[in-house]
Amino acid sequence: MIVKKMIAEKGTVLNNEEIAHGIYQMTFSAERICNEEPFPGQFLNICVDDSWEHPLRRPMSIADVNDNQLSIIYKVFGEGTKILSEYKNGYSIDLLGPLGNSFGETEGTTPILIGGGVGLSPIIWFHKVLQTNGVEHKIVVGAQSVNEHFLSHDPEENIYLTTDDGSVGEHGTVMPTVKKICDEVENPKLFSCGPEPMMKAVHLFVNKFDFPCELSVESYMGCATGLCQGCVIERASNSLKEHSYHERYSLVCTDGPIYQAKEIVFS
Amino acid sequence: MTVDLSVSLGDVSFKNPVFVASGTFGYGTESNDLVDVSQLGAIVTKSITKHPREGNPPPRIVETPSGMINSIGLANIGVDKYIEKMIPVYEKIGTHVITNIAGFSIDDYLHVLEKLESSGGNVCGYEINVSCPNVDTGRMEFSVDPKSTRELTKALRSATKKLLILKLSPNVTDIGEIAAAAVEGGADALSAINTLFGMSIDPATRRPNINTNIGGLSGPSIRPVGIASVYKISKAVDVPVIGIGGITSVKDVIEYLLAGASAVQVGTANFRDAAIATRIINDLGTYCEENDIATICDLIGKVESYD
Ligand SMILES: Cc1cc2nc3c(=O)[nH]c(=O)nc-3n(C[C@H](O)[C@H](O)[C@H](O)COP(=O)(O)O)c2cc1C
Repeated sequence: MIVKKMIAEKGTVLNNEEIAHGIYQMTFSAERICNEEPFPGQFLNICVDDSWEHPLRRPMSIADVNDNQLSIIYKVFGEGTKILSEYKNGYSIDLLGPLGNSFGETEGTTPILIGGGVGLSPIIWFHKVLQTNGVEHKIVVGAQSVNEHFLSHDPEENIYLTTDDGSVGEHGTVMPTVKKICDEVENPKLFSCGPEPMMKAVHLFVNKFDFPCELSVESYMGCATGLCQGCVIERASNSLKEHSYHERYSLVCTDGPIYQAKEIVFS
Repeated sequence: MTVDLSVSLGDVSFKNPVFVASGTFGYGTESNDLVDVSQLGAIVTKSITKHPREGNPPPRIVETPSGMINSIGLANIGVDKYIEKMIPVYEKIGTHVITNIAGFSIDDYLHVLEKLESSGGNVCGYEINVSCPNVDTGRMEFSVDPKSTRELTKALRSATKKLLILKLSPNVTDIGEIAAAAVEGGADALSAINTLFGMSIDPATRRPNINTNIGGLSGPSIRPVGIASVYKISKAVDVPVIGIGGITSVKDVIEYLLAGASAVQVGTANFRDAAIATRIINDLGTYCEENDIATICDLIGKVESYD
């Protein structure tokens, strides 16, 4: 793992718009964080509220990096993201990053990127990076309905959308499409980030067929830097000692957020 | 004007009265990218126990209005790893380190303290987290029982000459009584407060937001409880008090000092900004200059109470 330096930086908001129903993309300048060369999977911890009414920062995966600009894609689902959605161009934004590890090896595999809802950022960015590097891959994005999608369904270009209501792309969850693709391609390797039911389904599927898979885990976080020990996930382990530390529970902010599917259990 | 920010607790002199609180600054080195820790008055470590501990299942934390609830469950590397990995690092850390100790029986605490005593190293003292169930007395917390608190303090006192601080819980009827018991047992100083009971529930799922249902509330929302506790303790006993609870700014520090604290610890605020305590230290110097305060000790307990 490459250990990058954490930077605390005040960025400037350049754009903040709703790109699909309830889903926003915000772009801001953050030169020093960009200098650390973040990679897909890594995240920022953002202070949404200068007052102390909301003391904790909000972890947000990075959705793109362009020169000195970063962007995030987020779904408004709570007080913090509601405040973020009201940020105007020119606002100062209090950032900490880049944090966590990033997606790993794709060589010798056909990467299948699977995302949805709040977990789109790392998938969208990884898609872009693989495109730039000329790595052939597939991307499957799920949503409830067409108005939550901002990509176009284009299987010829290896982009597959699914909707719960069938209003665009394949009808149903991402899983039938993922299974079909896995049958068709050589050496599939799955990379996934999304809502918990989706992650659980992917997890179950790859464990059954023994496909390599990296999951980007979402967790409620306090500090995102290892101080508070708040954001843990259970490790898959069958040899637990009576007394141990970080063998049963892994710290998502510093050990993750990317895990091999085999490493963790969803309870 | 040069301002003297130094304070003393027991025989130990600290360069300034602003420390970082146990469980909110790891083992002291995690935030080195973001802050020069040598500027801190002291670092209080995560609670160290006899054995390593995984801590509680998730979810462990949730934000609340101006605060948070946690149920970390004393996750820590255990005293042996702590001595092996951290004690050598503290040789060059540039400030005092206070090891916080937790346990579930008097023997547990003694075991950790004695190991640390024999390991030598740059640890100036111990802060004892008594907000732990005592398995020898039916799991009642040490912190709520004056007798347990006195006995535990006495046992530890007889095992060390170093600075011994008892960290008190606000979840008691009379914190002054517990403070007096700790002082009778031989504590050099008291710190207050640890977290308050807190609970929040997700109406959609009817589930509590943390796995232990009830957890520990911290952050700005508990500051008035911390200040009142310090005030009561400093009236009840004659040893120095370290004020903890909801500190985010120099103004909060001044309030605690006026209420009777000789030093303070910054906790939850570190999670937002790991350099916040060092900023507060700078602001404290400026505040004293602007208000003609030559030595920070001139503020301690100087609240002008109503009769
Ligand atoms: C996540 C978290 C972990 C904590 N862990 C410990 C601990 O291990 N030992 C301890 O004595 N206090 C622990 N505390 C309590 C703090 O040291 C402090 O007493 C309390 O949070 C109040 O201060 P604050 O409002 O500034 O956070 C913890 C607090 C938090 C929020």
